[in-house]
Amino acid sequence: MKLSYRWLSQYVAPNWSPEALVEELTMAGLEVETVTPIGQSLDGVVVGRIEAVREHPNADRLVLCDVDLGDGAPVQIACGAPNVEAGQKASVATVGTTLSLPNSDDPDERQEITVEAREMRGEASRGMICAEDELGLSDDHSGIMVLDEDAPVGLPLTEYLSAHDIAPEDAVLDIELTPNRSDAASHIGVARDVAALADASVERPEVSVPEAGGPAADAVTVDIQDEEGCPRYVAMLVKDVDVQPSPLWLRRRLSAIGLQPRNHVVDVTNFVLHECGQPLHAFDRAEIANDTIRVRRTDGETDFTTLDDQTRTLPDDTLLICDAERPVAVAGIMGGANSEVSADTTNVVIESAYFDPSSIRRTAKALDVQTDSSYRFERGVDRAGQEWAAARAAELIATLGDGTVVPGMVDEHPTPPSPPTVTLRPDRLEQVLGMEIPTGEVTRLLTAIGVEIDAQDDGLHCTVPTWRPDISIEEDLIEEVARLHGYDQIPEPERVPVPSRTPEHQPGTVLERQTHDLLRGRGYREIYTNSMLRTDRAERFNVPPAGSDKAPVVETKNPISEEMAALRPRLLPGALDVMQHNRNHGQDALRLFEFGHVYRRAQEHEASIVPGYAEHPALLLAVSGPHAPTGWDTDPRDADLFDLKGLVETLLDDLRVPELNLTPRDVSSSNGRVPITQHQIDVTVGETALGTLAQVTPDVAADFDLDDHPVFVAEFHWERLAAAAATDGARTYTPVSRFPVVDRDLAVLVHAEQPVGPMQNTIRETGAPLLRRVDVFDVYQGEGIEDDAKSVAFTLRFGADRTLTDDEVDAQIDAITDALDREHNASLRQ
Amino acid sequence: MPDDIDELRTQIEAESIESAEEAEAFRIKYLGRNQGAIPDLFDQIGELPPEERPEFGKRLNALKEFAQERLDEAKARLEREEQSGGADVDLTLPGRRGFRGSTHPLTQTTEEILRILHGLGFSTYEGPEIETDWHNFSALNFPPDHPARDMQDTFFLQDEDDASADAPTVLRTHTSPGQIRIMEEQAPPIRVAVPGRVYRNEAISYKSFCLFHQVELLYVDEDVTMAQLKQVLYSIARALFGDDVTLRFRPSYFPFTEPSAEVDVWWADDESEDGGQWMEILGCGMVHPNVFDAVGVDTERYTGYAVGMGVERMAMLRHGIDDIRVFYENDVRFLDQF
Repeated sequence: MKLSYRWLSQYVAPNWSPEALVEELTMAGLEVETVTPIGQSLDGVVVGRIEAVREHPNADRLVLCDVDLGDGAPVQIACGAPNVEAGQKASVATVGTTLSLPNSDDPDERQEITVEAREMRGEASRGMICAEDELGLSDDHSGIMVLDEDAPVGLPLTEYLSAHDIAPEDAVLDIELTPNRSDAASHIGVARDVAALADASVERPEVSVPEAGGPAADAVTVDIQDEEGCPRYVAMLVKDVDVQPSPLWLRRRLSAIGLQPRNHVVDVTNFVLHECGQPLHAFDRAEIANDTIRVRRTDGETDFTTLDDQTRTLPDDTLLICDAERPVAVAGIMGGANSEVSADTTNVVIESAYFDPSSIRRTAKALDVQTDSSYRFERGVDRAGQEWAAARAAELIATLGDGTVVPGMVDEHPTPPSPPTVTLRPDRLEQVLGMEIPTGEVTRLLTAIGVEIDAQDDGLHCTVPTWRPDISIEEDLIEEVARLHGYDQIPEPERVPVPSRTPEHQPGTVLERQTHDLLRGRGYREIYTNSMLRTDRAERFNVPPAGSDKAPVVETKNPISEEMAALRPRLLPGALDVMQHNRNHGQDALRLFEFGHVYRRAQEHEASIVPGYAEHPALLLAVSGPHAPTGWDTDPRDADLFDLKGLVETLLDDLRVPELNLTPRDVSSSNGRVPITQHQIDVTVGETALGTLAQVTPDVAADFDLDDHPVFVAEFHWERLAAAAATDGARTYTPVSRFPVVDRDLAVLVHAEQPVGPMQNTIRETGAPLLRRVDVFDVYQGEGIEDDAKSVAFTLRFGADRTLTDDEVDAQIDAITDALDREHNASLRQ
Repeated sequence: MPDDIDELRTQIEAESIESAEEAEAFRIKYLGRNQGAIPDLFDQIGELPPEERPEFGKRLNALKEFAQERLDEAKARLEREEQSGGADVDLTLPGRRGFRGSTHPLTQTTEEILRILHGLGFSTYEGPEIETDWHNFSALNFPPDHPARDMQDTFFLQDEDDASADAPTVLRTHTSPGQIRIMEEQAPPIRVAVPGRVYRNEAISYKSFCLFHQVELLYVDEDVTMAQLKQVLYSIARALFGDDVTLRFRPSYFPFTEPSAEVDVWWADDESEDGGQWMEILGCGMVHPNVFDAVGVDTERYTGYAVGMGVERMAMLRHGIDDIRVFYENDVRFLDQF
C-alpha cells in the first residue's frame, strides 16, 4: 500500500523525517518496503506576470512573452504552450534554475536541465514558463500552469504552493501490509499508529455528519436483500454538481500514490478511500432507475460491464448493487459502466457501505480482479466508518463542483453490532512477553489506538475500536501493547530454562549424517533435485512395488507447467538430469548422492501418514565415468557395477545392517514395461526390500546424453534401511583374539557359468566357526584352462581362541574342498 | 702381497655403488667366487711362507668382511632409496588423488542450524511433505478463505475421488504442520526442530523457486516467553552470521502465532546507497491459542513459541549466492565450492 509522507502529515505531524517515519512504522509492524522521493525543490521558480504575448518571427509554434518577475524590467521568454495569454500569472523558472524535466520518450524517466539565457530561433529567451509536469507537480503537460490572479509577482513558487497546501517534494512509502492490519490501509489509519508511537494525536478533518433520514432518505430508497453480505449501506446525495478536473492539491494527493486523476467526483471518492480506508462509489443519480438501490445476489451467471469497459461474467451468488431494474455495480469491487459519473452528471449518489469480507474475497477471486476497494473490503473495513466517509466525500464533491449536499443521509443498518470487549490481564501479558510493562503504559498505548479501557479486578476490560476487527482475544491485545511499546524493548534473558529431557532424533536423521560423511569421504557429491517432473517421465520411471502392477504417480491439480505436473516416484530421473547437465559441461567422472522424499499413490490397505499417499525418504547413489582421477602413471578404467556394489557393501557395513542379502534379479521384462535398468541386484534384509543397485540401460542413458560411459545407480528406501540398521550406539565389546591366525589360499576350477557368490557362502558355512574370513583374490579364464571352465582363487583366514594346529586347518580345507565339489562341482586346481 | 691387501682396501673404499648393477659388479669384482679379487688372494695363500699365512689370512678375512659390509650397506641403502622412489625421484609430480566429495550447501546450512539447536536442547522431527489441509492450514488457524489457500500459492494434489474437495491434500507450504504432528503425538514439554522441504506455487525466478527448505522450531512448556524466543533466535543468528551481526526483531503477522515477529539481519553492502539493507531471515511468534486448542494443549497452563526459517535464504546470505536456482542445478563446479 502506498502512503504519501506529506498527506500523512495532514493528520499527524510528529516532526519525523521520512527516514525516521520508515523506521518507526517498520518497527511497529507496518513494514515499509521502499521509500521513493518524488517532486523537486523548485528553488528559483517564481510567480511571474505575462505582460504581453507576440508571435515569434521565426517559429510558428513558439510565442514570445514579456514576463514581469517582480525585479524591474520584464524579460523576454519564448514559450510553446497553447494556453499562454497576456495577463496570466504563471510559474517561471528563472535563469540558473535546475529542473528535472520529464523525458518525452520515456514517461518514467526524468532528466535534469539548468535553465540558461539563450537564443531560441534567433530571439532571446531568459527563463522558462513551466507546465505542471515540468515542475514535477503532476503529469499535466497540456499547457503552462496558470496561477491565481492575485498571486504576488516575484513570490517563490514554493511559498505560493504552500499557501495552497501543496508541497513540491514528497516521499512515497510502500507499506507491506500484513493481512490483519486492515485498519492501517489508509492515511488516517497509519496516522493512528504514528500518533500512538509519538504520543501525539490524530487531527481528523472536521466534517458535519448528518443524522440518518431527512431529504436524502426521502429521495433515495435502499433495500438490502442480503443482510449477511451487506450489513450496512449508507448513501448521500449531492445535487447541481459541475463535474470538472480536480484542483492541483487533490491531483497531487492521488498521483503521489500512483492514482490517475479523472474528474473531481471520482477523485474525491478515491481520495476519501485513501484518507480513511472506507471505499466509496459515486453513481450518476440520473442513471439510477426509480432512485432505488437494491443489494442482492445474482441468480445464475450474469454478464455485466464494469466501468473499465470490460464485460465480465459474474458467477452465481455474486453480491450486486442494483437499481430498480438492473445491476449498477459489483458490490465492493467495481462500479458499472452504465451508471458511472461523467462530465454531464449533475446529481451524484454516494455509496458508503460495509460488505462482508469473505463474500468480497470470493467474488474478487472468481473475477480475478483486485481493486483498492476489494483490497479493503476483503480485509475488513471500519465497521462504523461509513457515515463519516460519506459526509466527507459529499462535502468535498459539493465544494469542488459548486454543488449542494442534499441534507440527511440514508443509513440502512439492520443490525448494528455491539463492539467486542476483551479482558487483558497484566500478569498474562508479563507471562507471554517475559517482561513487565507498567499498567499505566499499557493503558496509554491501548487508549492511543482507540481502545476504551475499564480497569477491573480481573484485568483491563478493553472495548475494541470498530476499525480493529483483528483484535478478538487477549493475545491480540498483548501484541498491540508489545508492538507499540517496541519489540526492541523485549529483553534477551541471560539464561533460559530447558526441559529436563534428552533431545531425541529419529534414527534416519542420525544415520543420514553418518552416510553423508561416508559418501563425502568416498568422493561422492550430494545433490538436491526438484521433486516435480513431467507426468510421462514420472510414469516411465515408476516401478510398482513388489506384488503389485499398479501404483499411480501423484499429480498436482495446479502445476506451474507440464514440466512439473507430477511428483517423483524415485530419485533416479533427477539424478540423470544432473548427470546430463554436468556431462554437457565437461565433467566425465560423476559420483552423486541424494537424500529426498519420493511419492506415489498408496495401495489399498497400505498404511500411510496421509491417507491415500505413500511417501518416504529415499537415498540414491549414482556413478558414471572414470573410477579414479587420471594420474601421471594411471589410466583409470570406467567405474563399473562392482565399484558401486563395493560402496553399497561398505556403506551398509558401516551402518551395521545385519543379515544382508544382495540377490541378482532379472528385470529384462517386468509387466511389459521397457526396463529402466539392467544387471539389477536387490538388497534385502529378511523379507524387507531395502533397495536395488543396477546399471541404467544404455537406451535410457542415451536419452540423457550419457552414452560415453555406463551409468550405475543404487536406490534405497531410507526409512526401511534406517530401521534395519543397528542404531544402538552402545555396542558390546568382543575381546580381540591374541592367538595367531592361519592363512591359506585355495584355487578351484568350476564351470565358467558358476557364480562365485554361492561358492563363497559354501566356504563360509563349511568353514565355520574357525574360518574368520574368505576373500576372492582371482577369477581367471583363458590359457591353461579348459574353454568352459574358470579358475576361482580364495584366500581364507582361520583363527580361534587358541593356537590352531596344521592338522585342524588341513581338515577344514578338506571339508571346504569337498563341499565345493559337492555343491558347485568344483575341483582343486593343482 | 700384503701391499695387495692395502691397495685393494683403498680401491674398495673408493668404489662407488649407486645402483643394483654397480652393486652386482662390485660383488663380482671383489667377492665373486670365480674371479673376485679377494677369493683370488685367498687362492694365493698357499704361495706364502707358512709363518706369514696366519697373519695374511687374518688380514684378508678382515678385508673380505669389509667388502661384504660395504656391499650390504650399499644394498640396504639402495633398497631404501628404491622404496622412496629412487634417489632422483621427481618430487614435484602430483600425488595420486581420489575424487573429492561434498555435501550440498543446503545440507551444510541445515546441519549448522541443527547443530546449534541440538546444543540448545532441541530434538529433531521430520514429517511428510504431502499434507492434509487440516495439518497445513486448519489446525494452524488459517481461516477457510485465507489467501494462502489459493491455487496460486499452494499445490493441491489430484485426489482419487473429488469428494475431498473440502479437505484437499496439499504439498505442505511450510514446515509448521510439523508442529501439529508433534503436538498430536506428544504432551508438553516439547522442544523440537523440524527441518524439511516445502512448496509454493510461485513463478520461478532468481529469487523464488517452486520449492525450498525450512527449519521449524517449536517450544511448548510452562512459562515460555517471547523474551526467550528472542534469546534463542539471536543465539542462532549470532552462531550463523557472527557475534557482531546486527539484528532487528519487528512485529509481523502469521495466523498461527500471536504476537508474531520477524527477524531481519543487516547486510552491509558498500555499493548500496544506504550502506546495506535489512534482510528478513525468519518469522516467529508465540503459539496462537487456537493452535493449542486444535491439538488439545491447555492454553492457560502452557505457552509456546514457534519459528520458521528459510534454509535457502540463510545459505544465500552466508555464501553470497544471488540466484536460488543454482541450488537445484547441481553443477559440480558449484558443488565443489562447498
